[in-house]
Amino acid sequence: MHQIIRRIFGTQGSKNDAKSRLKLLLVHDAVDLTPAEMEAMKAEVIEVMSKYIALDRGEVEFKLERNEGEIALVSNVPVRRVTARAG
Amino acid sequence: MSECIVITSGKGGVGKTTTSANLGVSLARLGHRVVVMDADIGLRNLDVIMGLENRIVYDLVHVIEGECRLKQALIRDKRLDNLYLLPAAQTRDKNCVTPDQMRDLVAQLKEEFDYVLVDCPAGIEQGFRNSVAGADRAIIVTTPEVSAIRDADRIIGLVEAAELPEPTLVINRFRQKMVDRGDMLDKADILEILAIPLVGIVPDHEEIIVSANRGIPVAYDDESVVGEAYRRVARRLTGEPEVPFIAEQPTGFWSNIKRWMGMSPARGAV
Repeated sequence: MHQIIRRIFGTQGSKNDAKSRLKLLLVHDAVDLTPAEMEAMKAEVIEVMSKYIALDRGEVEFKLERNEGEIALVSNVPVRRVTARAG
Repeated sequence: MSECIVITSGKGGVGKTTTSANLGVSLARLGHRVVVMDADIGLRNLDVIMGLENRIVYDLVHVIEGECRLKQALIRDKRLDNLYLLPAAQTRDKNCVTPDQMRDLVAQLKEEFDYVLVDCPAGIEQGFRNSVAGADRAIIVTTPEVSAIRDADRIIGLVEAAELPEPTLVINRFRQKMVDRGDMLDKADILEILAIPLVGIVPDHEEIIVSANRGIPVAYDDESVVGEAYRRVARRLTGEPEVPFIAEQPTGFWSNIKRWMGMSPARGAV
């Protein structure tokens, strides 16, 4: 019955909340970085990268992801163009 | 070749003690010589779950401190003469025993028994370190809840840090009806997150409360679905890895009618 109602109204069970919260929780438990530290790291990395390439600072993404027990730091850095090197 | 298996979880209240008692009964029913050791010094409960609380004279701490011989502290089960309990002390605390002493104790027990099951206390402190000290491998008990799975993940890391082989998982208090309506994490979700081999799914059932009230583990009851789930864990541990998992009985209107009419088996496999 619940499934039928959900199919009609397009709502989802709470298990999806559980799963997404867990994934985020476990990644942060494992890496042991506070959100503030993540932001600081992101700012520093952007600083270093922008010495070499022109990037959209506001568009840079930094995410911890977990798959099959492996944790990865996934970053998406949109590049505008390579800066002309002097000399 | 004897083996020591520690039953652990991190979080309290997920069913470590119930799992220890029922696995002990199930392994003994398969004919193995089994001892279940309560490592929860100060908060012992395995004796109560097994209905042996009135028979305790000596405990694990007495043995370690040399106040009695090991055999004096071992309590034989009421029903199975190849199943024994080594109770924890109730009036002491975890720090009165060291991992080295536990390792020695387990080594002595392994001379007498095929399986030494250690019921680990909740937490990641001294009680946990003592419990894993003599273990050859670990079983992690979890329930399909965010908090229990988070703690299970932490414990998996600590088990690996203790240089034990990859632990296996028992999912306890599983409710197929809630999974069906999308309100409970299912087997695949939990395995995707924890990424260790599964050895059991135990349905959530009132029988567990009744069996705890009586001090008779459900694994004795051939009619019990929960008992069957535990017996299958024991079979998977002893060389039958392909035994199918037990699901909660189908509870829909038509399956009830079919069951009353004897058209449908009482037990299903996931």
